[in-house]
Amino acid sequence: MKILVVDDFSTMRRIVRNLLVELGFSNPLIQEADDGQNAIEMLRKTPVDLVVTDWNMPNMTGIELLRAIRAEPAMKGLPVLMVTAENNRDQIIAAAQAGVNGYIVKPFTAITLQEKIDKIFERIAASGANA
Amino acid sequence: MKAILPIVNDEALPVELRDLLNSPDGTTFEQALDVMVRQREQRLFRALGQLARDLHDAVRRVGGELAHEGVPGTVADARQHLNEALEMSAQAAHRSLDFAERMRPQAESLAQNAGEMLKWSNDSDAAGVLAREAVGFAVNCSEGLADMVMAQSWQDLSGQRIKKVANFIGAVESSLLELVRLTGALARSEAPASVVRVSSQEDADRLLSEFGF
Repeated sequence: MKILVVDDFSTMRRIVRNLLVELGFSNPLIQEADDGQNAIEMLRKTPVDLVVTDWNMPNMTGIELLRAIRAEPAMKGLPVLMVTAENNRDQIIAAAQAGVNGYIVKPFTAITLQEKIDKIFERIAASGANA
Repeated sequence: MKAILPIVNDEALPVELRDLLNSPDGTTFEQALDVMVRQREQRLFRALGQLARDLHDAVRRVGGELAHEGVPGTVADARQHLNEALEMSAQAAHRSLDFAERMRPQAESLAQNAGEMLKWSNDSDAAGVLAREAVGFAVNCSEGLADMVMAQSWQDLSGQRIKKVANFIGAVESSLLELVRLTGALARSEAPASVVRVSSQEDADRLLSEFGF
């Protein structure tokens, strides 16, 4: 499964990558972008199966990236997991309204990451089965 | 019939005002009132001018003190120091991640190899005891290293706070700059210019230097 990790902090990208590898995802299939702008450009060139994104980033924030993804027909169904230090109620609501698939508040553990990723794909499988 | 004017006799009012209020001459009354209001305005403007000069001096003193103390020499330096702290913390976190990424495959390999060895040995012989210990140690190491990786997220969380403080300092710097402009203009008895925003750090430094920063 191809995953794009978006965060302006290189340490956080590396930590998320480590956790994903620990959870059994293939290291070479994990890509990284340092802000929303670069992420959307990468996504247009190379589609992925899951986006894990931070909220606070320069140029284009995580919520703007989420909205941009939902606005593009080719990737509007792409699962987006938000991993952020933002625990403000309004922001979580904004993310939900923009169509986020999962929301993790930093600091988090590998177990939380696993749970949220599992849930995302369970829901997708369920909606696919119902369709 | 003569109009009856109410006679104002309030002792608290100045004599000239009492006389005016009791005067039947409307034009004189208005002119005198204008003079009094103007006098009052001039006193207010003088007080404001003094206040502006005092503020300007105070701002200049603060600027001078900032420049002389050296640590941190200027507001820009303070921001620079924060960015350096951010960079150093990122480097430190990456070193820890390097270490964890280097050691984890070794720990996993040890756990696997020692596990294989356990199949061929008895619990009672020395090799079996050692293999069991090695498996336990390797598994603990692996878990500990995973925790260590996770623990490096402090750099992201503290880094975001450092960035916010650096932005706040930038905002304070802009406000201070506007204050210096404003007080400078007022102290020279000029009308305050409309707020001009500087576009770069160089502009900001150049402007501040004009005011002795």
